[in-house]
Amino acid sequence: MTTTRRQFLTLVGGAAAVGARLGAAPAFAQGGGPVKIGVLAIRAGIAAPVGAAGLRSTEWWAERTNKAGGILGRQVQLVVEEESNPKDTVERYRKLVLQDKVEVVIGGISTGVTLALGPVAEDLATPWLSWDGTTQKGVEETMPNPKWAFKSVDNEVEAIVAGMLTPKYFKGIKTVAGIGNDYSYGHDCWETYQAVLRRYVPDVKFVLELFPKLGVTDFTSHIASIQQSKADLLMCSFWSGDATIIMKQAAAVGLFKQMKGVFTTAGGVHDSLKKEFTPEGLLLGYNTMYFADPKGSPLLKQFVGDYKAKYNEYPPYECDHAYFNAESYKQAVEKAARGGKQWPDKAAVVKALEGIEVESLSAKRSWREDHVQMCNFYQGITTHKNGYDFVTIDPIEVVSTKQAMKPAGSKLMDWIKGWKV
Amino acid sequence: MQKIFNLACGSFYALGAYVGVSAVQAFTAAGGPPWLFVVPLVVAGLGVGVVGVVVERGLLRYVYERDETFQLLLTFALVLMLEDVIRMVWGTSPRSTSGLYLAYGQVRLLGATVPVYNLIVVAASLVIALSIGWLLTRTAFGRIMRATADNRQMAEALGVDLRRVYARVFTLGTALGTLGGALVIPATAAMSEMGIELIVEAFAVVVIGGLGSMRGAFVGALVVGILRAVAISVFPEIEMLLIYLIVIAVLVLRPHGLFGAVPA
Repeated sequence: MTTTRRQFLTLVGGAAAVGARLGAAPAFAQGGGPVKIGVLAIRAGIAAPVGAAGLRSTEWWAERTNKAGGILGRQVQLVVEEESNPKDTVERYRKLVLQDKVEVVIGGISTGVTLALGPVAEDLATPWLSWDGTTQKGVEETMPNPKWAFKSVDNEVEAIVAGMLTPKYFKGIKTVAGIGNDYSYGHDCWETYQAVLRRYVPDVKFVLELFPKLGVTDFTSHIASIQQSKADLLMCSFWSGDATIIMKQAAAVGLFKQMKGVFTTAGGVHDSLKKEFTPEGLLLGYNTMYFADPKGSPLLKQFVGDYKAKYNEYPPYECDHAYFNAESYKQAVEKAARGGKQWPDKAAVVKALEGIEVESLSAKRSWREDHVQMCNFYQGITTHKNGYDFVTIDPIEVVSTKQAMKPAGSKLMDWIKGWKV
Repeated sequence: MQKIFNLACGSFYALGAYVGVSAVQAFTAAGGPPWLFVVPLVVAGLGVGVVGVVVERGLLRYVYERDETFQLLLTFALVLMLEDVIRMVWGTSPRSTSGLYLAYGQVRLLGATVPVYNLIVVAASLVIALSIGWLLTRTAFGRIMRATADNRQMAEALGVDLRRVYARVFTLGTALGTLGGALVIPATAAMSEMGIELIVEAFAVVVIGGLGSMRGAFVGALVVGILRAVAISVFPEIEMLLIYLIVIAVLVLRPHGLFGAVPA
């Protein structure tokens, strides 16, 4: 990589200014140029808000990291590309590695896409850290021993956590209806939730399952069908704007006056779940980060404050995945450098990433030895007792992936059947 | 009437939804009473229909005589461009009018709880359908529209100003699309890709009802809506399949739809 005179002067000037502010001398490692980090973010379609949250969080991290002197003295430069369909995203991934010569690629949300990225990452021998996408086909792992690919938590963990918490908060449940999007995530969550709940409530009956396609904005017929089923409880795995819509349309016909509700992933759009139409008493999942955690770290509080000030929104969980990816990479580089300033090679960084534990926005998070994220999941019962115009949760249940994610190398359903309940 | 298969109708619907949300939010922020929110909603929905003039005069008039494939590509390009415009102006997060949907309360109807707002939308749809029917059959402009749709050369030869008629008809259609988007928004949320979702259903409606037939569009919409609701209740796995089976059956057995005119 070449650095022009103008770029060099800009870098020196920028670093000197930062150094002067921090009262520290600027430090440059060999090469001196910025470290390029490739970022893949969804920019369009139903998952665009999720992609935007991940990107915003990564930018926040990069700004802080650069202000603090960068990684081993090198400033961070983000090279952002779009995650779209598998074919195009694979091309952009190749471009990031081969043309932009990034040190690492972070990002990837849709498992439909990341399933294709995994083998490419192995092929190109550059570390790839996934925000939210896995290399699962259904609920089973397709890349049990990757070298360069680091994957998100298993897709079905929030359904497992919800299945564990359902009997605790909704005693006496006999019949359950389910609704999820008509693609792998929706079907897998429903199957897993049923398997887990059956372990706790063996005589539970699943009376209805509905799978509207992604992007539907009218659920009145689905809600009428759910009402007809007369189920005791509705399980819903919607995670985007559709979660808000079904909540509003359900409230309009008083659905949750008739039955309980479990929304495994709707915390992804938490600040659109207004009190006017979201009742108290639902089980609501926030995935891996609860923005209003009263036990949250100063880092979380600062991030939430900055995010609100800049975007006038409260951050969803994708921010935590993205922050963890970037921060774990930084710490792995520093670990691999063993206190020196010599930039480690990519293989050494990968080695350092395995098993590393870092403080993320939500709490401490780590990479399991088989390159899968380990973290906490936050779910709880919706309440109106807060200062926002949307619901929050109280009590808050924190469940670790050590408890709620299948161990490396195991089969999901066999693992669930083996539980001692 | 213009013999154009306009894919951008879905984008007009989405545009109406977003402008409707913004208008309602501005209205409530200015202290407007919640029960009056339909006023800014309808005004915004109809008002943004003026985009129809721009699209018709600025783009479509150049392709009336071109191949249908070209027209399809042009209107599809419009879909993609308007989706990006929406993202630039309103961002990527879904937009909604919060709990205003329930501002008029709910009523019990045939054993079911129905939001009053839904009844208002049903009533508005009927009024619009009847008004269009009246316009087409009882007014001079309606007769000109039907004559032009039937034979544009003959209409022009008889002194009809096609440019004006096309602009007015397209703007009217656009305003109905944007009004539809605005009216539906309190019950749901505006999402940038909602236009594409609508195009698919609109296609089924038009094929079943018959291209160019108002009565066909009315009946086609009822058939699609009722079939979806029944399928979800009885056998949810075949919800979409059922609609497209009907579409295929209509295309095979009655290619011009239930009410479409059979060419001589």
